[in-house]
Amino acid sequence: MPMPYLHRVACYTLGCVFALIGLRARATDQVIVLDSAQAQITLIDPVTHKVTGVIPAGKEPHHLMITPDHRSLIIANSVSNSLLFVDPHTGQIQHTLEGVEDPYQLAFSPDHKWFVTAALRLNRVDIYHYDGKNFTIAKRIPLADIPSHLNFSPDGQLVFVTLQGSGELAAINLATQTLAWRMPVGRAPAGIWVVPDSNDLLIGMTGEDDVAVVDWSKRQVIKRIPTGRGAHNFRSLDDGVHVAVSNRVADTISLIDYRTLTRSSDITGLLPGPDDMELSADRKYLWVTFRFARHVGVIDMTTGKLIDTIAVGRSPHGIYFFDRAPVISPNPD
Amino acid sequence: MIPDILQGVLNGIGSVQTMLFTDVVQPALYHFGFMDYDEDAYDAIYWVLVGALQILFMYALLRPLEAWRPAEPWSDRKATRVDILYTWITKLGLFNLVFFVLLQPAFDRLQSSMVLHGIPTIELDAMWPGLTDRPLVSFFLYLIVLDFAGYWYHRWQHRFGVWWELHAVHHSQRQMSLWTDDRNHALDTLIQSAFFAALALLIGVEPSQYVWLVAFSNLLQSVQHINAHLPFRFGLRRLLVSPAFHRRHHAIGYGHEGTHYGCNFGVLFPWWDMLFKTASWNEAPESTGIRDQLQAPAGTQRCYGEGWWSQQYLAFMRIAQRMGHLGRGNVVKN
Repeated sequence: MPMPYLHRVACYTLGCVFALIGLRARATDQVIVLDSAQAQITLIDPVTHKVTGVIPAGKEPHHLMITPDHRSLIIANSVSNSLLFVDPHTGQIQHTLEGVEDPYQLAFSPDHKWFVTAALRLNRVDIYHYDGKNFTIAKRIPLADIPSHLNFSPDGQLVFVTLQGSGELAAINLATQTLAWRMPVGRAPAGIWVVPDSNDLLIGMTGEDDVAVVDWSKRQVIKRIPTGRGAHNFRSLDDGVHVAVSNRVADTISLIDYRTLTRSSDITGLLPGPDDMELSADRKYLWVTFRFARHVGVIDMTTGKLIDTIAVGRSPHGIYFFDRAPVISPNPD
Repeated sequence: MIPDILQGVLNGIGSVQTMLFTDVVQPALYHFGFMDYDEDAYDAIYWVLVGALQILFMYALLRPLEAWRPAEPWSDRKATRVDILYTWITKLGLFNLVFFVLLQPAFDRLQSSMVLHGIPTIELDAMWPGLTDRPLVSFFLYLIVLDFAGYWYHRWQHRFGVWWELHAVHHSQRQMSLWTDDRNHALDTLIQSAFFAALALLIGVEPSQYVWLVAFSNLLQSVQHINAHLPFRFGLRRLLVSPAFHRRHHAIGYGHEGTHYGCNFGVLFPWWDMLFKTASWNEAPESTGIRDQLQAPAGTQRCYGEGWWSQQYLAFMRIAQRMGHLGRGNVVKN
């Protein structure tokens, strides 16, 4: 048998094997949804949109974050004192890390040296040293009132925290682990998004109908972008132009042009309480949790229409899938 | 079939919760600037709906049982009306709302400060990973621990004079019915909510389970107070507190008598009474109430109040008397 033929057969065989492995990997990838009021993870097949499994998870899982090495997805077990590590592809539990007190929101600093959790119920932010494997508490910082969402300054020096109860934005110096400053921003501030190549932050004002633009270097609200009632959380759309903000009272999603700081359009016809969002790698589908409707929705971004809804547990909040479009902030992919 | 029915009920509750929240509560919160409480409000509606479901169950199943096989025949049910009011107030979460506003911030501060001072909570469900963290297992584990605490809480209600005066509101109902379980002094209810919430926090009860733990416990307690013959046979009466067992606790001269004597303090399970030797299995029918409600010479015909407000007020008066600030009063003589 001539060598080129053998070579072709070998290549073909190997190709088939790799293709099968690839298919298998894709087949087991799941959409991971945290049903916060039902203490469980719902797994959804991203292709068929069918629920494939339910896994008990802590007491009140709210937010999630991929580890810097992308090997684990960390789920913050609010109310209990642990982090749950799951496979970011399949959602299967890897292990639990005890001793992290009441984590609600969580994030790694851009340099991955710090891991920060917000204990919303306990009015506190905890800062941990992270060495790529271990989490060591550096400081627990009491903060009034209802610290909810987190993000970092691009240089990684500051962690920004919205204080929903007092209507403020706080900044904590990571090097010294001390409160740097606080400033009023408006009613019930929630999600924070860092505008690329600027000193601007976008803050979702859940108690109002706009997104506040804060120049953090000047500590000033420089603009308010009308969106919809209950502006809450953000997802970059990876088109170099837009970021999506969910409006939890208006039941809409607004697309903001972050270059001009204006609202481009709205996605309407949604279920109650759009909250966290995740974008498919091809940027065609935006998945969104409907907090007050016990459903997850899939939006076709080419038409801006909700094309499917999937029943999940009570109060679905965090959502993730591995094969997603890159995230700009927090934690750029 | 049963799981499907349960799932249907849960879905129904969820749909009504969404509708009430998005159409009524959330717009109000937004309008008045309380959006930082929107998630709490959403959860609170769930409590209210679970309470409403319990009331529905009581009207649909327990009330017909009272009509069908009464344990104690009455000429009229007028005296039970105030207990129905208590039930609506309690089950629809008005006390929980007060608890949330008054005590929840203090609880959160306490827990935060415990963490800051390195005082750990006990995560009961993490005791045996793979077993105790299964929802059904942890549910019954919590139920047993809370019931054990409930037994002692109940004994203390009878043991300490001031506390007894609050609890006497519950025992002063002489026509015990399915509604009597919720007939409690507002302050007593608040103390009880705080006690069990603190315990739940300490042993790490999952919030989503706590709603159903409370609902399950309340429903069984309504059954215990029912004025009906229910067949608790084949050892069931040793497993669960039966209406006859609890009626003995309410029986004048047998079950309580203020701070001096008592039997059958168990809330859901009679095991604690058996363990601590306070169980009485005698099911002979006796009058229920408090001895001093009786006419002389057995009692002093003391009035504990007819309506909600008078019952609340008179409890405070009795406490004041007990503490020596007032003379003996509120005795109605013929």
